[in-house]
Amino acid sequence: MRVIACCKAAPEEQDIVVNGDGTLSFERAAWKFGSYDLNAVEAGRQLVEQVGGEVIGLTVGGEALASAKLRKDIISRGLDSLNIVTVAGSAVPDTLQTAQLLAAGLGKVGSYDLVLCGAGSSDEYTQQVGNQLGALLGIPTLNAINSITPNGTTVTVERVLENEVQTLEVTLPAVLSLTSGANTPRIAGMKDILAAGKKETTETTAAALGVDTTTVSAQVSSVVAPKQTARQRTILEGDVAEVTTKLIELIGADLR
Amino acid sequence: MSENIWVVAQDAKAAGELCAGAQALGGVVHAVLLGCEEATKAAAANGAQTVVTASTPAANTLLEGYADALLALFEERGARLVMVQASTTGRLLAGKLASGLHTSALGATTLALDGEAVTVTYLVYGGTAVCTRRIISPTAVVTVGGGVFEAANAGADSAAIEQLTVTPNTPGITLKATAPKQGEQVNLSAAKRVIGVGRGFGAEGDLDLARSLATLIGAELACSRPITEGEDWMARERYIGVSGAVLKPDLYVAIGISGQVQHMVGVNQARTIVAINKDKNAPVFKQADVGIVGDLYTILPALTAALR
Ligand SMILES: Cc1cc2nc3c(=O)[nH]c(=O)nc-3n(C[C@H](O)[C@H](O)[C@H](O)COP(=O)(O)OP(=O)(O)OC[C@H]3O[C@@H](n4cnc5c(N)ncnc54)[C@H](O)[C@@H]3O)c2cc1C
Repeated sequence: MRVIACCKAAPEEQDIVVNGDGTLSFERAAWKFGSYDLNAVEAGRQLVEQVGGEVIGLTVGGEALASAKLRKDIISRGLDSLNIVTVAGSAVPDTLQTAQLLAAGLGKVGSYDLVLCGAGSSDEYTQQVGNQLGALLGIPTLNAINSITPNGTTVTVERVLENEVQTLEVTLPAVLSLTSGANTPRIAGMKDILAAGKKETTETTAAALGVDTTTVSAQVSSVVAPKQTARQRTILEGDVAEVTTKLIELIGADLR
Repeated sequence: MSENIWVVAQDAKAAGELCAGAQALGGVVHAVLLGCEEATKAAAANGAQTVVTASTPAANTLLEGYADALLALFEERGARLVMVQASTTGRLLAGKLASGLHTSALGATTLALDGEAVTVTYLVYGGTAVCTRRIISPTAVVTVGGGVFEAANAGADSAAIEQLTVTPNTPGITLKATAPKQGEQVNLSAAKRVIGVGRGFGAEGDLDLARSLATLIGAELACSRPITEGEDWMARERYIGVSGAVLKPDLYVAIGISGQVQHMVGVNQARTIVAINKDKNAPVFKQADVGIVGDLYTILPALTAALR
């Protein structure tokens, strides 16, 4: 089985600094692949461990993807190779453009059985790239997939809706977006990280693929942090009886 | 905007809210009701002039199979904005429609008009910031969650009713079985006190420690996302955060929760925040009024006993 795992890198949100005026500063934020995209890599790896084949990473992004560390990190989570589509400048492509770029990137990868996406990217979390990609490719497409069982030319999947769980049979090739609980992504060991450096990475550009990334569907007007409520930050530590008594003393009215 | 806004809904609550929202935007409101004819009243009472009903598909197909028919409908009737209920099904439909209409599907926590353009806001970077986007494509496709708009139920209640006669079709996808999830009615947003549990709890049964405290102080039990999605210990409606419930209680007690931005954005409007965590460097302590550094397995029984 040839599985394509789509993944996107974004700045680590815990390290984004909110400036006095509410704008964001990314200087201290290292880039990392979204934690939910690791579910796609893991699901691909598990399928290949069952039936054989390979897991190929496919990512669209800007200059941050030049980082060897970032590349090694995603490969070490279970990829056999990585395909990178770079977009010029710092603009983040919207979901339609990303889907178009992934579709064009898939054309370069050759044949595939399954395209996997995470629940959503860690920056925009629109949860739409897999859906839009599947529609562009015109192949079976589903979201909120919790488990995948291979049976030759089809897969049986479990899909979680608000009030029910569906069991569906899906003809391959297909595009599936996962839930964040679909699996527990493996932690890469030293060996995986060393091996990652030797795995094949292929790079192309949006321009070379002939995808126009200049006209977005929606222009960003602003990105501003909401006002934070100031907190007391009283920290209690030590003897259990003492700290509970102190807590009740401090916020007793809220507890009774 | 005296232009056509189409609402796509799967239940009466969403039909009412989204139609009311579309009307508030000043559009000519039309609704497509997927497998919920009974929502016709709610749509009409909230301004829908046309209601197109699509019946529940045969047992082995999905509502998503109406995507092509909807695309044809919106192209024929000239939709300027398509507002889709933000369910799993609605999201997939929105993505298909957006690709067909050559635009990007966006999620919205607010939706407004800026001149002739539709403007949406939504949270980015795990809730660190609010992004505002102005949609410039000829048709906008937006998913809208519950509570973004309020149903007014004040309309004339006189919609033109049509029926979508196409048979839904999802080539390559066969629905084999459907199992109901044991549904639970939760209304976290009404709760004055909320206790949130996280991965610091080692086993499902241990949640009883938090449950006892919750019962004692009259709090609702909520959780972090991994508790509902990785573990399945609690109903999905109970997780707090950027992709879950956003609350404003008087008191929030985070127990065994690290305090990642994605979680805390759901409670940072709480009046008082208490955190219990054994890791003194856990980010949650920076966002708490009172923090107890300690093992929840000893703190909780002691706290419950002290309050009894
Ligand atoms: C796009 C995206 C959206 C997301 N949306 C949400 C969301 O809406 N809501 C949400 O909650 N998360 C969301 N997440 C996940 C979020 O990033 C965190 O992974 C999650 O909130 C962590 O849950 P946790 O605090 O329970 O677990 P952990 O981060 O694992 O923290 C467990 C904590 O328990 C403490 N602990 C362990 N044992 C004990 C003990 N015996 N006594 C006391 N303390 C103990 C540990 O010190 C630790 O701090 C999202 C992630 C992404 C990428």
